[in-house]
Amino acid sequence: MYFGVESAEPLKGVSLPPARLPEGAEDLRAAVRAFLSEEHAVGAFEPRCDGWFNGYSPEFSRKLGERGWLGMTWPERYGGQERSSLERFVVLEELLATGAPVASHWIADRQSGPSILRFGTEEQKRRFLPAIACGECFFSIGMSEPESGSDLASVQTSAERTDGGWLVNGTKIWTGGAHLSHFFIVLCRTSPQSEGDRHTGLSQFIVDLSVPRITVEPIRLVTGEHVFNEVVLDGVFVPDELVLGEIGAGWEQVTSELAHERSGSERFLSTFPLLVELVRVLGEDPDERARIAVGTLVSRLWTLREMSLSVAVALETGAAPEVEAALVKELGNRFEREVAEAARLLVPSEPSFEASGPFEARLAEATSHAPAFTLRGGTSEILRGIVARGLGVR
Amino acid sequence: MSTSREKLLETMTNVLGDREEDTPSAKTWKALEKADLTLVSVPEESGGSGGTLEDAATVLHLAGRHAASVPLAETALLAGWALSECGLPVPNGPLTGAPARPGGSLDLHREGRIWVLSGRLRRVPWARMATRLVVIESSEEGRLVALVDPRRCEISPGENLAGEPRDDVVFDGAPAEEVALADAGVDEEALLLRGALARSVAMTGALERILELSVLYAREREQFGRPIGRFQAIQQQLALLAGEVAAAKAAASAAVEATAYCEQVAEAAFEISAAKVRIGEAAGTAAAIAHQVHGAIGFTERHTLRHFTLRLWSWRDEFGTESEWASRLGDIVARRDAEALWPTITSPHPRRSS
Repeated sequence: MYFGVESAEPLKGVSLPPARLPEGAEDLRAAVRAFLSEEHAVGAFEPRCDGWFNGYSPEFSRKLGERGWLGMTWPERYGGQERSSLERFVVLEELLATGAPVASHWIADRQSGPSILRFGTEEQKRRFLPAIACGECFFSIGMSEPESGSDLASVQTSAERTDGGWLVNGTKIWTGGAHLSHFFIVLCRTSPQSEGDRHTGLSQFIVDLSVPRITVEPIRLVTGEHVFNEVVLDGVFVPDELVLGEIGAGWEQVTSELAHERSGSERFLSTFPLLVELVRVLGEDPDERARIAVGTLVSRLWTLREMSLSVAVALETGAAPEVEAALVKELGNRFEREVAEAARLLVPSEPSFEASGPFEARLAEATSHAPAFTLRGGTSEILRGIVARGLGVR
Repeated sequence: MSTSREKLLETMTNVLGDREEDTPSAKTWKALEKADLTLVSVPEESGGSGGTLEDAATVLHLAGRHAASVPLAETALLAGWALSECGLPVPNGPLTGAPARPGGSLDLHREGRIWVLSGRLRRVPWARMATRLVVIESSEEGRLVALVDPRRCEISPGENLAGEPRDDVVFDGAPAEEVALADAGVDEEALLLRGALARSVAMTGALERILELSVLYAREREQFGRPIGRFQAIQQQLALLAGEVAAAKAAASAAVEATAYCEQVAEAAFEISAAKVRIGEAAGTAAAIAHQVHGAIGFTERHTLRHFTLRLWSWRDEFGTESEWASRLGDIVARRDAEALWPTITSPHPRRSS
């Protein structure tokens, strides 16, 4: 950090130096803002909370693809733009802050694509990455199972060797968007769990969601919304060419990307569209209580963005700030919930999906999705455990 | 980090590492003065030791980390800054400067050839130790910066929770030794903002230290046959504490950087306000966790934790509480369009790109 007190050993993981965006980032930001404002003006989307979680719009994703805003950091030969991850940071935060419908491509762009780029074969890269970057190919995550949530290493889905490939059996759950995506990357066991080392024997497979012997059943949210699914794989054949990375290296592959998944703006901007509506409803001259409440939220948000940007810069330089990323997510997820709680106490209204005003609708979205914030992508308890390990007490 | 910053760090660490938390202020001050650390960021031509605001932040952070009871912020960032900005020489010794806070008021008027102060300032940091006191006040001839000898004032000693002097100063016709027209950007508001920034930075030092103390204690203290840090209940608390420290450090860094970049401190009002709110919050949360982890011993004079938590509880209220600064932020946001909220967060004021 700038004070230059390099953390003594117990302070590992609380170093977040101030970060600057590269030259040209503000021009890019202006271009994204202009695009979003145009799209909004013509009614292409209605800003909403949690748009990266269930704002599905393949059409909108394709428009982003056309502008080169998907797979931005990937090599040109795979359909990317070879932009820096900090430029991508700018594009993503603009999309999220506007509440744009980015769920269709979110996982492919953030997670599946980078995994394929890092661990995939040349053939896989040529097949999937350009399609993802165009907004034509969407992915879901195939990690959690009915009996494996936070304890991911306990997955029971298995893959057995067969002629020219593998036969996959098992059930994946909470699979967001599996009913809309084309593929999902399935983590499964390819050899039995060995004594003392639960992390070996896991492998990743790219599975086509449209092949036979896969059933996708909706698991509706408390609101009735369809995001999650239960995906049953009943002897699904996966050809050798769709093995991702090394057989047996699944755990390392899955965990190596965690800092990228946890420190992004989607970990604190999910309810930002509600904050915008709150500021609108309160008007030019809010009372003292409202000013303090909004000012407090804005101070937390500004700080979180500085932290997230700092982690982004560290990632860009090749570091793996796992603890810092966990801290951003832990604090960010609490903030997302605090926005909803503050908003409901400042404006006399009731959350409602079919209400006339955008404030009530955003409040309904933020309130009803709040439980997800601190669960998805690593629960707050797991994250604090990671931080505690970084502090050397675990 | 530049080589000079490294050198600064090393010197500061050496000076402060040699003392105990309760070493008398005067002794610590002398050592710091000898090492040329009391006027960092004040230009050399005004009698300062030069360096940037980031350098000064390094010094303040370390002072907070070591619970050094000395008026570094007041001397360099407040008094030294105001004097040098207006072309006045910076005198030797500890200095102080304070904006009028609730309960205080000041009047500066001419009596013949000299300028005279009357009124009172409440809880002026280090007034009794300062060789000179700097005030910024409007007068019939415009806004002035004035240098006053505290011995010509009536000082009622007071202190903050950590025992640092916070004295009431009554100016009953005290003459100003030097007076200069205040430059643009040198006013009471600027003094308040710089004070808030200084306390924010110092708090990050104290926060860093209480995290360190809490982690060490959790590793050493055994109950039920194992170190208490082995219990998830304690681990989760320590993680929350680390989160507050990380947030505070990120906020302070960003606010210092913004202030250093802006020509006038008022342009960085958004960042300074946001930092003071967030770091003030962090101070309260972190101190509570640190004490909970330490148990009864941390709450007594037998443990060093108090040097840091007492300061945090004081500093978070000095130069404006979270409510005061959050209200300002809320006001900045309300006066702009709702659609301007996000642009305000990404670039509170026009910035150069690096």
